[in-house]
Amino acid sequence: MSRWTIFFLVILLGLGLGLVYGWMINPVSFQDTTFNSLRIDYKTDYTLMVAEVYHQEKDLEWALNRLTLLDDPTPLASVEDALRFASQADYTLPDMFLLRDLHNAIEGAN
Amino acid sequence: MEQNRSNWYILTGLILGLVIGLVYAWVISPVEEVDTHPHLLREDYQDIYRALIARAYQANNNLPRAEARLELIDDEEPALVLAAQAQRFLAEGGDVEMAKVLANLSAALQSAASSAATPSLSSSAGNTPSSGNETPQVTPTPEANTAQPNQNTPTPGEEGPSAPTSTPTESPPFILQDSSPICDPTLGESLIQVIATNSNGEGVPGVALEISLGPDLTEVFYTGLKPEVGLGYADFLAEPGLAYTLEVPESGLVIQDIEVPTCTSESGNSYWGGWEVYITHPN
Repeated sequence: MSRWTIFFLVILLGLGLGLVYGWMINPVSFQDTTFNSLRIDYKTDYTLMVAEVYHQEKDLEWALNRLTLLDDPTPLASVEDALRFASQADYTLPDMFLLRDLHNAIEGAN
Repeated sequence: MEQNRSNWYILTGLILGLVIGLVYAWVISPVEEVDTHPHLLREDYQDIYRALIARAYQANNNLPRAEARLELIDDEEPALVLAAQAQRFLAEGGDVEMAKVLANLSAALQSAASSAATPSLSSSAGNTPSSGNETPQVTPTPEANTAQPNQNTPTPGEEGPSAPTSTPTESPPFILQDSSPICDPTLGESLIQVIATNSNGEGVPGVALEISLGPDLTEVFYTGLKPEVGLGYADFLAEPGLAYTLEVPESGLVIQDIEVPTCTSESGNSYWGGWEVYITHPN
């Protein structure tokens, strides 16, 4: 095997080791994240909080503004995701109602 | 000599590959940030998260649920952090009502902490996801970190528990107990200090206070934003030589000519003192 072949093989080996270390052993630490990166149960709870406030205050503009922070395609999609997860996770009927209430309000405004 | 040259180029290639791999893994294409936790949110997003928790608490009056949610942010002293955020919010010219909502939750947490009858979180924290570092009974979950039915959450038709949080200022009006200048060298600042208490002598948070130097120079502040001092405590940094008027708007109480005194320390040095105002419910 020529020296150049060995040289490139060793570079590939180093590259592989670097990727394994940088992606698996010591990945970039998760700091300063956004709402969009939250786990689905936290996102659902966030949406539920918005729904709780909306149910009391009926301020749809404020609710949409808060849901936009989740950075989903649309605020309606955020509520639909939350409803889906809440249904799978056996959320209580009152909480499901609050989410549906918010969902209906957004759908009605569109 | 020839053998040494061979070893060096292998080492060089390995280091080169490692550097390229690390740059790619850490800078060009780092691991995607998914499924993260609220305590990893950027600081301004954590403020939004806390404000949302406080507003949700205002809406549903469910303190255990608010506590469980605050645990997700991992603040060491949630009540103090909320109060600090309310103060920061006011200082930045933010919405006074929002600051009050934050202060109310802070005060509620302080009250709950000082009460022996603090309810168990498991009774009504409900669907709040678990943070992973709390005790299992806080939010027991049927599956890892998911939800569980919440018996204490109000049903849609029931408005009882969902009623807005009552504020202390809805109670009988305050009357003036004492208003006097004080000389306390340990204060370090010329403060107008207000202490609002109820008939039992307990501090009352959330009391709106207006301080003014005339009709156009008015500032609003609230008791309870410094829970570390006292739930009914509020202070205002006064400028020496000026006469302030303090008003408790919802009680119609007006205290005029508040002016920090000149004091003399034991060593003969003069310094600016402060002013103390005690207000209380008559019953």
